[in-house]
Amino acid sequence: MIAAPVVEHLTRRLAECPAEFLLEPRSAGTPGGQVDVEAVVADLLADLGLPGRLPAKAVGSWARAPAADRNLLRVTLVAAWLCHDPWLRSERRFGLPVLRWLAGGLRPLAGLVTAELFVTDADRREELARALLDALGVTPGGESRAQAADRLRALSSVERALVLRDTRAQAERARKLREQMASERAAQAAARYSSE
Amino acid sequence: MDLDAARQLFPLVTVEGLRGLERIRQHPSAPRFTHLIGDHVRAEDLHAVDAFRGALASAPPQPRGGPPPPVLEWVSRMRARVPRWRALIPEGSALERDWARLPTLRREDVAAHVEELVPEDEPLERLIVYETSGTTGHALRVPHHPLAVALTHALAERALAWHGLEVLQGPGAVACMNLRAQASVWVYPSLFSVWRGAGFARLNLVPHAWPDGLAAARRFVEALAPGFLSGDPISLAELLRLEVPARPAALFSTAVALAAPLGAALSARFGCPVIDWYSTTETGPVACTRPGGEGMALLAPDLYVEILDQEGLPVPEGARGEIAVTGGRNPYLPLLRYRTGDFARLLWAPREGGTLEPRLVDLEGRAAVVFRAEDGSPVSPVDVGRALRHRFAVVQHAFEQRADGSCLAVLRPAGGVPLDPAQVEAELRALFGPLARIEVRTDPDLGAGEKVVPYRSAFPAASG
Repeated sequence: MIAAPVVEHLTRRLAECPAEFLLEPRSAGTPGGQVDVEAVVADLLADLGLPGRLPAKAVGSWARAPAADRNLLRVTLVAAWLCHDPWLRSERRFGLPVLRWLAGGLRPLAGLVTAELFVTDADRREELARALLDALGVTPGGESRAQAADRLRALSSVERALVLRDTRAQAERARKLREQMASERAAQAAARYSSE
Repeated sequence: MDLDAARQLFPLVTVEGLRGLERIRQHPSAPRFTHLIGDHVRAEDLHAVDAFRGALASAPPQPRGGPPPPVLEWVSRMRARVPRWRALIPEGSALERDWARLPTLRREDVAAHVEELVPEDEPLERLIVYETSGTTGHALRVPHHPLAVALTHALAERALAWHGLEVLQGPGAVACMNLRAQASVWVYPSLFSVWRGAGFARLNLVPHAWPDGLAAARRFVEALAPGFLSGDPISLAELLRLEVPARPAALFSTAVALAAPLGAALSARFGCPVIDWYSTTETGPVACTRPGGEGMALLAPDLYVEILDQEGLPVPEGARGEIAVTGGRNPYLPLLRYRTGDFARLLWAPREGGTLEPRLVDLEGRAAVVFRAEDGSPVSPVDVGRALRHRFAVVQHAFEQRADGSCLAVLRPAGGVPLDPAQVEAELRALFGPLARIEVRTDPDLGAGEKVVPYRSAFPAASG
């Protein structure tokens, strides 16, 4: 068995993502697009050792995608390029986990990060590469499982967004509280039988 | 006022209750009411008050030696809901073991971080606000809840019961009047649903608060015959001086320390007990005098009271220190080792039957101070604080009146905000009289490194 690649191996591949993978995807929501995502995924799966038709559940899901999913489709194309890495192909065992990742694991990321950044931005490249290895259950070369998990958490756009959302919720709560405290109704308070 | 309008302020008001309210409002000797203030008590609140009465009757007195398990469990639950507590108490703290090392909070924390002290999931719809008098040097706006106010009624009942007395209740009765003697204060009638629709009035014992001067105050109090009266010692001293013909079942002396001679004079004049009442806006009522022991008995089992040294460590039993309170019933301001700024000793004294009762002894820190205007009339520190802070960006102040009547105000202006001493002087002259001798100085270092005494007066404070 070949040892798992170091993360840099995969991030380098992302940096070299061909421009074609960033072309406009075609779907029900974006009928003018140029790239057939389902065909790209089907080819990829065949190369990963999962030949033949896509599972019934997956068939048509990319083609039917609404316009709102445009970035998800574009991220799927970039991720498909990543998964076409020679090491993954040589292993011949990652077809199903890759399919699961492409079909369900990318949506949270695609809701937060545009597809281009997974090619042009070093941190986002590393995040996508680590997210893939995590989805495959593979520890990157030269790292312990704990180190890999820590690093992924540190990079995670999704986790950062949750923190930000908490902060935003707190700010919103503080604003409401200040408003309420400043209101005429609150200032009228309630009668008290004693002075404090 | 019709019933529907009244229910905006008093959700549970009845026709009879409204008639009682109108009797107070429309009385021929009524003061110049500046507001009409509701109690905002709902039916479910009355159930909570009843439950609280039950808890008061059955709860054991606060034990010695650290917070009892219900307090620890409460802190643990509140930690999950109060952002500031989470930041201050590390995850996994053993509360019982680490109690003495838990952080303390104080007025300044409420002033600076109130958003982080309100439980994050507490609905805000019923939030009300009290501004504290600020006689300790900083005014403070405290978020509060009508239910928390309603619950304190059960504590007044408890204090009266210790004297064998009951609250005068029911529509048409006037349960209580609260007295002030200040240049400017809200004067209002109200109703208390907790006391079955009995009436209430806040009065100001200064001539300009009445259409017919203070003679009207005498007639009004006599005619409405309130069940008990409350007020700070200065207001109660005015009650004596003005010879108001009141016949209360009890007097509650609040806000600042009551001098023993004044308490005795009030008790003799009105033929009733004078209950020295220790309560702050942030904590609610904490303790009051109770026959059969020195000092003040703790009132509420939902407040854990401890005495701390400067570092926040509990002092040995009986030693003097700052009163700190944990718990409370205000859902918008749960208290964690909240330092009140008041100092006392805490003792456990035996009562008949052998039970030990915790008592606050030698309470200090809110010494009564009264100033005198040119014409000899009292000037409250609350008015001075307001004059200094409402128009001017003052961070700290120290105001002193000397035996010759002259005044010195030392002010620490907020950084970068210009302060014109002549304008401050004019504000103070409006309180003390046009010819009063008033000097205003600024000191950017006031309060740096030492505790400022915000009010000092050479005049005796309401000695009766």
